Amino acid sequence: MKPFHYLRPTTVKDAINALASAPNARFIAGGTNLIDLMKRGLVAPEKLVDINSLPLKKIEQKAGFVRIGALALNSSVADHTIIAAKHPLLAQALKAGASGQLRNMATMGGNLLQRTRCPYFYDTAFPCNKRNPGSGCSALEGINRLHAIFGFSEKTGPPTCIAVNPSDLNVALSALDATVVVQNTQGERRIPFADFHRLPGDRPDRDTTLEAGELIVAVDIPDAPFARNVHYFKVRDRASYAFGLVSVAAALDLDNNRIKTARLALGGVAHKPWRLFEAEKMLVGQPVSETAFRQAAEVAMRDAKAFEHNAYKLKLAPNSIRQALTLAAGIS
Amino acid sequence: MANAHQNPAEPHPSLDRVDGRLKVTGAATYSAEYPFENLAHAVLITSTIAKGRIRTIDAKAAETAPGVLAVLSHMNSPGVPAYGSVKLPAERAPVGTAFRVFYDEFIYFSGQPVAMVVANTPEQARHAASLVHVDYESEKHQTDFEANLSKAAVATSVQRNKTSPFQDYDRGNPDAIYTAEVKIEATYTIPTQHHQPLEPHAIIAVWEADDKLTVYDKNQGVKSAQGNLAQAFKLPRENVKVNSKFIGGAFGSGIRVWPHTVAAVLAAQKVNRPVKLVLGRELMFTSVGYRPFTVQKIAIGATKDGQFTAITHEGTGQTSTYEEHLERTILATRAMYVCPNVSTRYRLLNLDVNTPTWMRGPGDATGMFALESALDELAFALSIDPLELRLRNHADSDPERHLPWSAKSLKDCYRIGAEQFGWKNRILEPQTMKADGMLVGYGMASSLYGFHRHPSKAKAVLLADGSVVVQSATMDIGPGTGTAMTQIAATMLGVNPKKIRFDLGDSGLPDAPGQNGSSTIPSVGSAVHAVCKALKIKLLTLAVAIPGSGFADVRPEDVTVKNGRLFPSADSSPGIAYTDILKHHKLTQVEVTEESKPGAERDQYSMYSFGCHFVEVHVSPVTGEVRVKRVVTCADVGKIINYKTARSQSIGGVVGGIGMALMEESAMDHRYGRYVTTDFASYHIPVHADIPQIDVFFVDQPDPYVNPIGSKGLGEIAIVGVAAAVANAVFHATGKRIRQLPITPDKLL
Amino acid sequence: MKDKNEIDATGPRRDGDHHQEDRRLFLKQSLAMTGLTLTPFSFFNAEPDSYSVLAGNADRVDLSLTINGVKRRLSVDPRTTLLDLVREQLGLTGTKKGCDLGQCGACTVHVDGQRVLSCLSFAVMQQGRKITTIEGLSNGASLHPMQEAFIKHDGFQCGYCTPGQLMSAVSCIREGHANSEAEIREYMSGNLCRCGAYPNIVKAILAVKTSGQSV
Ligand SMILES: Cc1cc2nc3c(=O)[nH]c(=O)nc-3n(C[C@H](O)[C@H](O)[C@H](O)COP(=O)(O)OP(=O)(O)OC[C@H]3O[C@@H](n4cnc5c(N)ncnc54)[C@H](O)[C@@H]3O)c2cc1C
Ligand code: FES
Ligand code: FES
Repeated sequence: MKPFHYLRPTTVKDAINALASAPNARFIAGGTNLIDLMKRGLVAPEKLVDINSLPLKKIEQKAGFVRIGALALNSSVADHTIIAAKHPLLAQALKAGASGQLRNMATMGGNLLQRTRCPYFYDTAFPCNKRNPGSGCSALEGINRLHAIFGFSEKTGPPTCIAVNPSDLNVALSALDATVVVQNTQGERRIPFADFHRLPGDRPDRDTTLEAGELIVAVDIPDAPFARNVHYFKVRDRASYAFGLVSVAAALDLDNNRIKTARLALGGVAHKPWRLFEAEKMLVGQPVSETAFRQAAEVAMRDAKAFEHNAYKLKLAPNSIRQALTLAAGIS
Repeated sequence: MANAHQNPAEPHPSLDRVDGRLKVTGAATYSAEYPFENLAHAVLITSTIAKGRIRTIDAKAAETAPGVLAVLSHMNSPGVPAYGSVKLPAERAPVGTAFRVFYDEFIYFSGQPVAMVVANTPEQARHAASLVHVDYESEKHQTDFEANLSKAAVATSVQRNKTSPFQDYDRGNPDAIYTAEVKIEATYTIPTQHHQPLEPHAIIAVWEADDKLTVYDKNQGVKSAQGNLAQAFKLPRENVKVNSKFIGGAFGSGIRVWPHTVAAVLAAQKVNRPVKLVLGRELMFTSVGYRPFTVQKIAIGATKDGQFTAITHEGTGQTSTYEEHLERTILATRAMYVCPNVSTRYRLLNLDVNTPTWMRGPGDATGMFALESALDELAFALSIDPLELRLRNHADSDPERHLPWSAKSLKDCYRIGAEQFGWKNRILEPQTMKADGMLVGYGMASSLYGFHRHPSKAKAVLLADGSVVVQSATMDIGPGTGTAMTQIAATMLGVNPKKIRFDLGDSGLPDAPGQNGSSTIPSVGSAVHAVCKALKIKLLTLAVAIPGSGFADVRPEDVTVKNGRLFPSADSSPGIAYTDILKHHKLTQVEVTEESKPGAERDQYSMYSFGCHFVEVHVSPVTGEVRVKRVVTCADVGKIINYKTARSQSIGGVVGGIGMALMEESAMDHRYGRYVTTDFASYHIPVHADIPQIDVFFVDQPDPYVNPIGSKGLGEIAIVGVAAAVANAVFHATGKRIRQLPITPDKLL
Repeated sequence: MKDKNEIDATGPRRDGDHHQEDRRLFLKQSLAMTGLTLTPFSFFNAEPDSYSVLAGNADRVDLSLTINGVKRRLSVDPRTTLLDLVREQLGLTGTKKGCDLGQCGACTVHVDGQRVLSCLSFAVMQQGRKITTIEGLSNGASLHPMQEAFIKHDGFQCGYCTPGQLMSAVSCIREGHANSEAEIREYMSGNLCRCGAYPNIVKAILAVKTSGQSV
């Protein structure tokens, strides 16, 4: 690890300024992803700005939305009464991720920005467009059991990157239509969740639309009627402490047995959390039924395409969508 | 403890681990944890190509980085005397050459150590390592086992040795398989799997003088490590000290002295300071061996009522280009069941990878996965209960060596296991049992492991205060060696275990084998037994010399011991206290050393441990996820010394077997000949949530022929067969036979 | 070869008595830190004038924190993780390194009473915090109830994961997640045990939980 200078500002302004003048500087929050990357030499900041002393830990109900500070810990959010009462989907997703210790360290902001777990990204002996743009994507013809089935473009040549976003939180936030609140030297910027994470396109090195030096200060979740019929469903290679192969965030607003609103997002299938707008639309107005869920799953999978080792996801994803919807609806 | 009551044979409450307090307080000192003034820290740099040569190593930036003491490589290594000098022109090492670290420019596998940075602090060493630039000239490599399978051949070491058990073997008629009434045939694949003990391999190397070396090293045999290092550095054996008192698991990864150990010793020589090297987790995939990738083809022929008529078993394992690693893969098939016609073949495939090594249940865990899966396939084909099929083919004597078993209670194991598990509730037809939307499967498999006993010495010292110190250069990688030995000594001497101290893990102690092949209790336990017996006799001699002690004419076999006292016979009192014997003779201590070794019994009996496992799995029809819900395991390993630690060892074996069955796979990208699963987030081992209740039972009957204590080893048999039991349960749940481990969700969808 | 700056922080020490502030270490380090002030301020470390400082010796940062009830003032390389600080510099080797990447739980310690992974946190980030390692779990000679339970239920074999398991187990109860075997298994899943002592660990935790002892 390269030596770095360490700073610990106590105001948001100081923190932003500390990064403004230094191209190779980084914020550090929980450190659970950044330190991993630094140890493996993938990130080598010359200046490390510790933001843990900033007043960004609050979780509050505001008019029309819940605001979660960027530094609220994953465990605090998961156990918070407001979250339990209004957005249990979020709590479920957080509890499905990482471990008790990691959730006590990981922050909201850091979780949004965690990098992919594609093994080719982590080992510098392999080419990787995300780490080293232009070098090629090793996963494409390599071991791609964990990789994407959506969201890579083949229009202008082979996909640039088929890594997936590993976060569970992101899948839930995507379904809940959250907004990421960001500050930079100019002031505040609000980024709708759908626009926050990117598809690889011609810049596979960029995971999000956050600009260099911008500080995430909060995540806002609009009030929504998803207090009850929600389910976060995660499939993994072992029973716990593993990243998902596929995960589904499902939220339903039911009127008797009819679906008023539906939200669906998939994890583990694309470079970003994969919101299923079409399938949601299809569900609205339908009665809760296996048929409706099957149709939704079919719609969801329309554009999916698999590689050598991840064809199972073409079956696992729709199965999981149906299961998540079934569990959310409370029928078994 | 719930389990304590389930085993009626458990004689008395087990002794808690004698080192338990040290382990729960963090006071147990593992290899990397010894403090030294002036300690330097080393970091290894390893090759990123699988085959070729090093063109140049640019270490300038590293050498001038803060705190750096040296950058070591083949270009400036002080050299390992035993390697000899490099011949010119340099040549690749022929098969049969142990890897020589920092020797020449050749690359044999990706992950091979090519250089090492030594610095004042770990941070400085790690940073400097990132500044070293190695330029390679690559050659085309071969690492893909399945693509190269046709090149597999009989190992050259086997070709040279006509009596090798790995020679082609035919019993009866090798063609009998073709005429069998019923026949199944299948191919089973086990990927490369790694030991991954939680403690990474680590060493602190200290040159006490130019010709005196001390290492604090993670290994499974201080004596063999001592011998190896002495040989490598051409030092008198007694000038090398190996200290390995606490080992954070190993499972076979510490049986050899690996290149990184030698590298650290070289570094300590180079910088003339104590050097510490701790392998990063990623290096644990290429530095200390692994369970080799293995493909096995098995065919079983049987009569319609399930009597085996022929078995053929062909196994091919992977090895490196420079060494041949052989393991028992096909051997169990010759001894496990009665069958007139048995053929086995064993082949090796040399690839551009590092050499594999023994991993818990070596060979047998691999071979029995195939054999016991195949049996299950046959049972299904015949519509016979899998347990019943095993009973029908039970071998009452060793069908391979035509010898009686020294002891075998496998039928008791089957009975106990089946009862405790509720095997009778199993519905024969697969895919019929369900619970909570899950497919339920019951599976079972047998287990065996050969008996190993090696010559061992132990020393016992009785001190004036009545306490006893027992010593042997044995090891404890986790099973609780010290606890078991203390218990043996306590029973033999009638001394409270609290007054006994057992020393191990130090090459200065009396000779003992390394901890492998489940040989510790049989070998070292016997030595401790012998030395305590000798001590007792010595005390008797001393007691006889005390006038009026009442021991005159007492025969050694009549003497009894209790509470630190010697009695002339079982029902006599008051006897004499050991302390009084010493006091009378004005002795500060009495010391004896004994050796215990196997004898002719090995030619008269066939010796194995046996056991079986019963497993219930739930499989999600939606996701293909398998969860093990329940395991009952039963073993016949002779007499149980300590139920508590024995039970834990069995549980540990089952957990390892569950990992092997469901998640462990070291996946390699063959375009680069390099693993892509090099951490605990990608090489999965079981976590708490994967492991259910595991009930352990022992037959607990002493084996009369193996050794004086009647105990056989448990470490390996605990894992052998578990993967098959899981796979068989998965088949029963889903109707899908997975012949390629691990059984991950994608394979069941 | 070794520069003065480094000797103090890397010098091996076994912590015998850590109930008093260690003046020897403090004094030596104060001397080594010439030029660095100890006053806390918003920017903990002054901005460097140029990167030349970086190219030379790794910068050192003052740090004061409490470890196992002992207040310590240290000077550390900012790259030093909390794990390497306790293991390599303070001689508190009870906390283990299994992976150094947050993937095994062996390095679990309590920071301000919460379980965290010490390998994924820089020591400098712990300014002013209270750290408890396995060495500080029990007070004095008697063992913590969880330690007793691990011995009784044989919750370990090789013992390498054990300190992490114990720290996590205590938190598991404190966090209110030890109400059933299944819940314990889930909330302990961040602690790997390659020896496979899991069922015994779960029994130990459940026994402590049901005994109602305070942890
Ligand atoms: C073994 C392991 C298993 C895991 N399993 C899972 C899992 O199953 N599911 C899951 O979802 N996650 C999992 N995680 C990932 C974990 O959730 C993330 O590492 C964590 O959320 C990152 O948060 P952090 O605060 O530690 O981020 P840091 O590591 O501190 O930062 C990550 C990145 O975000 C930047 N950053 C942080 N905060 C801000 C901010 N406020 N503004 C701007 N930039 C910021 C940093 O500069 C850095 O680039 C796992 C992690 C590990 C190590
Ligand atoms: S060492 Fe920290 S989690 Fe493994
Ligand atoms: S006791 Fe060995 S890793 Fe847990």
